[in-house]
Amino acid sequence: MRTTLLTLLLLLSVSCTNRPAQTKLTLAIVSGVEGEALKQAAHDYEIQTGTHIEIAEFPYTNLFEKELIDLKSQTGAHDLIMLDDPWFPRFAHEQVLTELTPLLQKRGQSGPDSDFVETSVALCRHPYQTGALYALPYVGNSQLFFYRKDLFEKYSLKEAVSWNGVLAAARTIHEKETAGATGAKVYGYVMRAAQGNAAVADFMPIFWAFGGEMFEANGKPTVNSPEGIAALQFMLELGKYSPPGYASFNADEVGAHLLQGTAAMSINWPAWISSFSDPKKSKVIGKMEFTTLPAEKKPGQAEIGNWLIAIPRYSKNAEAAIDFLLWATSAQQMKLSALRGNPPTRKSLFQDAELIAKNPAYPVQLRSLETSRPRPRTPYWNEIENAFGIFLSKANSGELSPTDAMNQANAEIEKILERAK
Amino acid sequence: MSAQSKRELLLPLLFIAPAVAVLLALSIYPLIYSVTISLQQQGNTWGVGNFKRLLTDNFFWTAMAHTFVYAVAALTCEFVLGLGLALLLNAQIRGRGFFRASLLVPMMLPAVVVGVVWRLMLNPNFGAINGTLKRFGISTESLTWTASPKLAMLSVIAVDVWQWTPFVFLVLLAGLQAIPQEPYEAALIDGSSRWQTFRHVTLPLLKPSILIVLLLRTMDLLRVFDQIFILTEGGPGFATETISLYIYRTAFRFFDFGYAAAMSFVLLALTNVISVIYIRFLQAKEAT
Repeated sequence: MRTTLLTLLLLLSVSCTNRPAQTKLTLAIVSGVEGEALKQAAHDYEIQTGTHIEIAEFPYTNLFEKELIDLKSQTGAHDLIMLDDPWFPRFAHEQVLTELTPLLQKRGQSGPDSDFVETSVALCRHPYQTGALYALPYVGNSQLFFYRKDLFEKYSLKEAVSWNGVLAAARTIHEKETAGATGAKVYGYVMRAAQGNAAVADFMPIFWAFGGEMFEANGKPTVNSPEGIAALQFMLELGKYSPPGYASFNADEVGAHLLQGTAAMSINWPAWISSFSDPKKSKVIGKMEFTTLPAEKKPGQAEIGNWLIAIPRYSKNAEAAIDFLLWATSAQQMKLSALRGNPPTRKSLFQDAELIAKNPAYPVQLRSLETSRPRPRTPYWNEIENAFGIFLSKANSGELSPTDAMNQANAEIEKILERAK
Repeated sequence: MSAQSKRELLLPLLFIAPAVAVLLALSIYPLIYSVTISLQQQGNTWGVGNFKRLLTDNFFWTAMAHTFVYAVAALTCEFVLGLGLALLLNAQIRGRGFFRASLLVPMMLPAVVVGVVWRLMLNPNFGAINGTLKRFGISTESLTWTASPKLAMLSVIAVDVWQWTPFVFLVLLAGLQAIPQEPYEAALIDGSSRWQTFRHVTLPLLKPSILIVLLLRTMDLLRVFDQIFILTEGGPGFATETISLYIYRTAFRFFDFGYAAAMSFVLLALTNVISVIYIRFLQAKEAT
């Protein structure tokens, strides 16, 4: 009996020592719905494959600094990172990401499959669209135009396909829905004009539609072109029909006005769509419609805002990381992510009947995503966006005229680029 | 040197070694490191370029001006209100204990919580302040507290005054209670008026407490970050951007640690100069 027990113990110890060490990956994600879906996918992957995935979760405001500190100090603390697409040029420029094509080739793939939306994959290449592949797109956000179809029907307004049409509709709704100086109101339009990202994100579709371009082909900034100044003048016109204080609005204030039914139109991100059918949050259930961005001199284009996943250059587990990355961005897994609330980056999923039944705006979202534009692909975008946003906010709060704001913004952007040389 | 005297020399060194090690690791090394990175420009070249850049950076000087406006205005309001409250609640009035306790509540709250609550209250459309004013029939269309360049600075100063006046009050009240009764009795016998007693007895004897509270609040106000970050994020435009916010953005959003370190040293130098002035003043008064 004792001999049998000893033999069994010996066998057990041998089997334990011979078992290969369990692979462990560390994944940096953003807090919120985007990261939550990836966190659940990681949990499923761990069950399926036995690969342990440790999650490092950070709020949006801290994720960039945590990731860049890790990447630049070459610690290899993370094997996979979620990154917002405007950060990508900085990371790629610093050469701190792993090029994915050789890893894909080892697995018999020449590149990302053709089901991915082209504008999303273009964000993952450095230089933009044409260069080497350093990430795969996971969440396919692009801006949409939100409007109150009940008010448009009430006042026989046509869907606003141009920005001047938007202005006319905003004026009509604003005037007709006003109920006294201190009473309830429906503002014609609501926008974010707080300095930084907020003001820039809401301005760019107007700027592009009016024919503005941030840079010439040689990289010289041109935000103060006549088109750019006209676009800012137009933004201020729209501001006349926006709630007081919009110059300090961020996404929360815009969302609150739309959900409370106190504003009729806005540019917004798809993540807000589901809130409008939630009776706990929305006073406008069934009244909100979503469409692509209006045109003006040029066709309407949304700003793209995808979440990407990349492998840091100093990851010690790049092979295991690419296996997880391919699995997480497969059509099957991305559908689960879409069911958890994230817009996909695959065309087939935007056309999937089950997903459309849950998200009726998917066909519009696909149109918006396919025709979207990225923020200028420069490693200094954070600094440029900050400076540009300050002057846009100054114009919207009445501190500067549109011409002065754009001239000063242009000078500041020139300084940033000069320093970067 | 005998073995015993050697031991006597080494033993204290051994005892203070852990504290010195911690100080070196957590204070001295980071300080030296930040000096070195302030002398490194983007591209890792050495020089005083970061300090030269300060001279032509409009954002830096504007943020510096905002910081001083904020500090001077908030400090003046907090001191006047804090001193008034301390004098009031030092007297024998009914409910003194209750007022003293309730006055301290704002100070107990974390700055982030204060920022979030005031941000909601100052919301021009859904906030409690404009809501209350509307109830009294006051038009609030132009009262965009955090969105107007003129009102935004006023709003952030008001929030700081709301939160930190209790601290000034607390320190000054403690100072008032430490003043002995004899000088007051002597003043009374000499026929001094209430104003003369305050001017020539209370104020001079309260001076050490006044200087300490002014010093602590000045240092806090010059490095203000959290409340403004939550309330306005420095906006609208650049209207409430203080130097700490600008340093944070430069370091963690633009990843230019060298320039951020250079700005931090300028702020440190200014804070030190102000502190030295306060301390000299305190020592001079104590000596007289």
